[in-house]
This record gives sequence, C-alpha cells and structure tokens, in this order.
Amino acid sequence: MSELQSSSSKNLTRVKLAVDLTIFFAFLIAMDPRSSGIAVHEWLATAALAALIVHLLLSWDWIVQISRRFMGRVNLQTRINYILNWLLFIDGSVMMLSGFMISEAVFPSLGIELPRNFAWRSLHDMTANLFLLLLGLHTALHWGWVVDTFKRYVFKPLGGLIFSRKRKDVAA
Amino acid sequence: MKTLARIFIIVAVMALVMGVTYAAVSASGSSGLPGAEPRFEEGGRPPFREGRFEGERPEGFEGGGWMFGLIKNVGVITVLVTLIVLPKNVRRKRKRAAVAG
Repeated sequence: MSELQSSSSKNLTRVKLAVDLTIFFAFLIAMDPRSSGIAVHEWLATAALAALIVHLLLSWDWIVQISRRFMGRVNLQTRINYILNWLLFIDGSVMMLSGFMISEAVFPSLGIELPRNFAWRSLHDMTANLFLLLLGLHTALHWGWVVDTFKRYVFKPLGGLIFSRKRKDVAA
Repeated sequence: MKTLARIFIIVAVMALVMGVTYAAVSASGSSGLPGAEPRFEEGGRPPFREGRFEGERPEGFEGGGWMFGLIKNVGVITVLVTLIVLPKNVRRKRKRAAVAG
C-alpha cells in the first residue's frame, strides 16, 4: 500500500514539474508579443488558463491546508508564499480579463467585438509587469523544490542512463 | 466529481475577480487609468501588425532583435531568484557551520 502511495506521489511530482515548466516557458513566450506575434501571444495565454487550473488542482491539498491554518500556527515563509500565490492569482485574472478586452486575435476570430476602452490596455501592461515580478518571487520561494525535483527526476535518471551505457560499452 | 467541483471553485473565484475588475473599470468611466493618456482616438486604434502598432515606433526602434524581450524577462526572474535564494543559502550554510563548530 505504502509502495503504491509512494509511486503515485512520485508520478504527481513528475506531472507537477512538467505542468510548471510548461506554464513557465509558455508565459515567457507569451510575455513578449513583439517576438511571438499577437496571435501566438493571445492563444498561448488563453491555453495557459487551462494549465493554470491544472497547476492549482495539483496544489489543491496545500491550498486547503494553509487556508484552514492561515490564522493559526503557520511559519512565516508559508504565510508569505500563500499571500504571494493569492496576489499572483488575482493579478493573473485581471491580466487575463484586460487581455480579453483588448483582444485582436482570439475574440475577433470568434466573431466577438468588445467595446474599446483604453483603460484595459494600461491595466494589461501594468498587471503583466507585476505578474513577471510575482512570478520571479514565486519561483524564488519554490527554488528548493525546483532544484530537488530536477535532481531526482531529470538529472539522476539521465546520469543513470549515460553511466549504464558507458558501463555496457566497457563490458562489450 | 471532486475534481469538477474544484475546477468550478477556481473558475468561480476567477470570475469574481474579473467581475469586480470589470465593474471598477466600467464605473470609472474614463478612457484610461490615472496618469495614462489615451494614445488613439475612440475606434481609431491602428491594427497591431508584426509585433507593433503601425506607426507607433520608428523603424529600427527594436534594434535589440526579437529575442530581447524574452532575455529581459528571463533576466528579471534570474535576478529575483538570485537575490532571494543566495542570501538564504549563505544563512543556512552559516547555521550548519555554527552547529558543527
């Protein structure tokens, strides 16, 4: 039973790493519409919404646990992390909405014309810049997890693969 | 079922945040945030083509190449991670050294 649990936890961590890396790189590409083009920027950001929901679902237990204990005994880093995550969520939602409101690819392609208001453009720029800062802080606070997970699930298996090949070559 | 309920909660909270923002921007009734100047006439916004609004930037303005924005974003995140992780690691190492010593 515990072996099963450990295997499922390993799989969950692997999925988490893959989802997080996808969101991170998608965000980096989407953050620069001058490079990627407006259509890629908008469609990628819209798709990132689904990835973001998966990211939140994978961290659901942590969110519920800290939400319950937030007023009680929680260490400072976890508290900061929790507040930062909420800021990231709120900022991301506002960024997404303002992006939809100034959409030039996604909504027009669906035949939807939204009223123009230039406040949305300023809001979109502001929230995107803030999102970059918050994402940097979020990454920094989870750096230990990122390094450990990379070591365990990427570098170690890769190292094992390379060394086992070398050993086979020597044996041959 | 549990997952669907969770997705519903996430989407509902997101919709709430978006709704409040939409109401706030609509209620402000302005054509821009405080300090922001409208750049184009109502309905006269030029189309965003090839990564920029037509006529917005002089030719050669983006001389840094198409990778510049991407590198800048990675740079910002790298600086933040370094600023937070490095002192933390130094503190941890000192603590360990103090315990060992």
